[in-house]
Amino acid sequence: MIKHHPSNELLVQFSEGNLPATLSVAVAIHVEMCPVCQKQLATLEAKNANTAFEDVVNDDDICFDQLMFDNITSDESIDEVYDQPAIKVEVKGKEYTLPRALTRIGHSSFMQIGKLARSRIALDDGALRASLLHIDAGGEIPDHTHTGFELTLLLDGEFSDEDGSYVPGDFMMLDGRHNHTPKTTEGCLCFTVVSSALHFNKGISKLLNPIGNLIY
Amino acid sequence: MVSQQLQTGCKPKTGQFTAMPETPSKELANSLFAVATSRDKRAFAFLFQYFSPKIKRFGIKQFGSEAQAMELVQETLTSVWRKAHLYHPEKGAATTWVYTVMRNASFDMLRKMKSSKEECISEDIWPLIDEAEPGQHEFSDHLEDKQIKQYLDRLPQAQREVVRGVYFQDMSQEQLAEHLNIPVGTVKSRLRLALQKLRNEMGEQHD
Ligand SMILES: [Zn+2]
Repeated sequence: MIKHHPSNELLVQFSEGNLPATLSVAVAIHVEMCPVCQKQLATLEAKNANTAFEDVVNDDDICFDQLMFDNITSDESIDEVYDQPAIKVEVKGKEYTLPRALTRIGHSSFMQIGKLARSRIALDDGALRASLLHIDAGGEIPDHTHTGFELTLLLDGEFSDEDGSYVPGDFMMLDGRHNHTPKTTEGCLCFTVVSSALHFNKGISKLLNPIGNLIY
Repeated sequence: MVSQQLQTGCKPKTGQFTAMPETPSKELANSLFAVATSRDKRAFAFLFQYFSPKIKRFGIKQFGSEAQAMELVQETLTSVWRKAHLYHPEKGAATTWVYTVMRNASFDMLRKMKSSKEECISEDIWPLIDEAEPGQHEFSDHLEDKQIKQYLDRLPQAQREVVRGVYFQDMSQEQLAEHLNIPVGTVKSRLRLALQKLRNEMGEQHD
């Protein structure tokens, strides 16, 4: 069962469309996997709609924009929406199906260092970078801290850290104060959003720098 | 029926709009349905009149600019006109659906301002179809879907509305009766007539 959800504040901002794109995609993926947050999101959207529409009374002197109306209705066709076929990726001989939210958003091919492999999600989002991160069976991410935040959303497989073990759908937002060393026995695929390069804590930072860049 | 109810709230040419103490939820949902099933411009005028000042106000708060607020009105109401068939009344109020359409348009506009990219990803984040929805997949075969739509177009308007409501928008006969403001018995008889006609036209392969 999913135990780790986005904070209420994140979900509120998501429902209002005010989160950056990379984080919005992360919350969207979680929501699709999590019935609890699905319900919560529906409640928030209904509440937002009340604030925007129902508690607002139109002024009497507002003009009907006939030009805009004619412009919109001059085309009678409708927007057909069709399901997109799911995208599959193969990493280290294992096949994964990507979440629906990623079917039309591109991603680069996987770059590998040791047991880690990373594919960059093609989203231009300022200092935030989103990636697919694969940790092969028996792998781990070395002890690290960072100045910004690091979001890890487990898509497939399992991993555990000092605080416990995680299942697909678990959403972990860590800020600079935390450090952790996720390990996996079977291997896992995660969606990550990182706001700044990582700093490795064990005096061999020179050696680990490539991993810091890989993960960011 | 729908058009009759609209006469009270909808006076497109005068620019007058009486302040309403309560949200006309049912009229809004009916209007979306009429736009979806018969591209009803009078029904759309009602939605347009109701939502455009509210969207504008929201846009000014969001963007701090009247020009951008008007762009949001245009983007949102264009989507309402073109996507009304994606509204499912059993999943929530019409206002909530229009809010999500507006939120998506606003998200894409904000992104366009921040990055130079023209990509619109709001519908990847908040899809307007629910894939878990049963019934969505019944017509997943595009070719067959198109064919059925052609046959549907040959039905009288009243029968067409009923078939679309039950088979494309996945409403129960009771919900549909309420939306069209007709007795359930009328829905049933229109549906029966329509299905007979469709069966005759489409022939054996769809039995
Ligand atoms: Zn959740």
